[in-house]
Amino acid sequence: MTASLSAATLGIVLVALGFGALLLRRSLIWKLLGLNVASGGAILFLVALSHRPGARPPLMGYPEGVPSADPLPQALVLTAIVIHFATLALSLAYAISLTERLHTQETGRLEEAAEEEMER
Amino acid sequence: MRIAAVVGVLALLVGILLVGAFGLFPLGDSPDWEKLARAYGAENGVAAVVLGTRLYDTLLEVMVFALAMVGVRYTLTPLSRWKEPVVPERGVVREMADLLLPVVIVFSLYLAASGHLGPGGGFPAGAIAGSGLLLLAMAKGIERLSRELHEGTLELLEYGAIGGLLVLGVASGLFGVRGSGLLVLFNLLIGIEVTVGTWVVLHYFGSHRGEI
Repeated sequence: MTASLSAATLGIVLVALGFGALLLRRSLIWKLLGLNVASGGAILFLVALSHRPGARPPLMGYPEGVPSADPLPQALVLTAIVIHFATLALSLAYAISLTERLHTQETGRLEEAAEEEMER
Repeated sequence: MRIAAVVGVLALLVGILLVGAFGLFPLGDSPDWEKLARAYGAENGVAAVVLGTRLYDTLLEVMVFALAMVGVRYTLTPLSRWKEPVVPERGVVREMADLLLPVVIVFSLYLAASGHLGPGGGFPAGAIAGSGLLLLAMAKGIERLSRELHEGTLELLEYGAIGGLLVLGVASGLFGVRGSGLLVLFNLLIGIEVTVGTWVVLHYFGSHRGEI
C-alpha cells in the first residue's frame, strides 16, 4: 500500500521552500515565515502518510471492509499544529522585543548590535 | 556556506521523496483501532489515540502551550502600548459580530462536547472560540474587550483548566478509569485552555506593539 504520493510531494516541496527561506533570507520575519511554511509542509507530509487508497476517515459507523486511514499520524499532527502555533507566537514575540531594542530585523546587523551592547 | 547548507537540505528532502516514491515506507494496513477506541469509550480513532493511549503526551503538550503563552505575556508586557485602536470601529463589523458570535460559541462548544464521537475535539474548539473572540475584539476594540473579560479571571480559568487536566489525567492513569464522560471533560478543559491561550496571543500582539 502506498501513501498519497502527490500530497507527500507537495509537502516535501513546501518543506524545501520553507527551509530555503529560512537559510537564505536575512530578515528575521522572513525566516520565521519560512519556518512556518516548512512546518505546514511537514504536517501535510504526515497526513499524506496516514492515507490509504480508497480509505475512510478513522471514525466508526462506516460499512465493514473499507480500509481506514491510520489515526496515529493524524493524532501526531493534531498536537504538532497546536505546538506550532504556540512556538510561532513565542518566537514572534521575541522578534518584536528584539526589534524594539536593537532597531533592526536583519540578522547580520542584529549580531553586530548585540555585540556592541555586550561591550558597553 | 549557506548555499552548501541549502543544497544539503534539498538533497535530503529529495532523498526522502524518492524513498517514498518507490514505496519503501513501511506502510502496512491500518492497525485495528476500533477495538482500542471502544475500550476508551470513543467512536473517533484520533480522539482515542490523543486522549487514550497518548494521554500524557497531550497533557504535557497543553503545558508547553501554557508555558509559551506565559512567555508571550512576559516578553510583550514591557513594550510600549499602542495608543490608537488597532481596528477603527465600524458599524458593519459590530452588527456581524452580534449575528455571528452566538453561532461561533455554540459551534465550538458542540465540537468540544462531541469530539469523541466525530470530527472535532478540544483543540479545534478552542481555536474556533478564540477566533470568535477575535471577531468581538474587531467589533469592540481590544482594550475595551480585555477590560470586560477580566484578565485575572481568565488566568485563573487557564491554570484551573491545566490543574484539572493534570489531576484527571493522573487519576485516570492510576485508577484505570475510562469512558466517554472522561473524554468529554478532557475536551472541554483543553478547549478552555486553548481559548484563553488564543486570546492572550491576540490581546498582547494587538495592544503591545513596541516601536522601531
